[in-house]
Amino acid sequence: MIAARSSDAESYPHLAPLYGIYMLALGSALVANLVIRVGAEAGWLPEWGRVLLGAASVVPLIVAAWTFWKLLRRDLDEMLQRIVLEGMAFGLVLYVPLAALYLNLGAAGVNLRLQAVDILMTPAILVAIGVALAWRRYR
Amino acid sequence: MRNSLVELRAAKDWSQGDLADKLGVSRQTVNALERGKYDPSLPLAFKIAKLFRRRIEDVFDPDE
Repeated sequence: MIAARSSDAESYPHLAPLYGIYMLALGSALVANLVIRVGAEAGWLPEWGRVLLGAASVVPLIVAAWTFWKLLRRDLDEMLQRIVLEGMAFGLVLYVPLAALYLNLGAAGVNLRLQAVDILMTPAILVAIGVALAWRRYR
Repeated sequence: MRNSLVELRAAKDWSQGDLADKLGVSRQTVNALERGKYDPSLPLAFKIAKLFRRRIEDVFDPDE
């Protein structure tokens, strides 16, 4: 008997944890950024503490990146790997011109005032859009 | 690229999940292969052909 297509919920089961790990690490970096800024403004976090927290906040992202590649190569088959990599390529090719636009408009005197959350979350959102588009292509 | 995966799988009375397990890929990949949405790598194409005891060109038609 020929099996029917599954629902979206059970499709690509390994993609969600892969993305979730990265989002958690991004979240920890954002929380650290908030604590550093609030601590600096309120005066209860000394400079050495801010520097230490700033450096330490990147560690979860490095661990997430390592886990991400490990899961990508171990748990995903060739089509799912392709979907993720196409999503990452989509995110990168859009993020670079956006970053250049932000920098050059800033240099031109335009006051854009992007927050840490904008800068850190934009690539993650772009990759998610890219994965969703690739996913639709191969369904 | 067209292929005869649906017919070959039906002849064996396998579900997409059965075929996916035998090939070591996800059921979603089998589904995409059958629908012609995804062209397999050469190693996977060889694996499919070997599983069904066919030549690659008997399973996949590059003209489409």
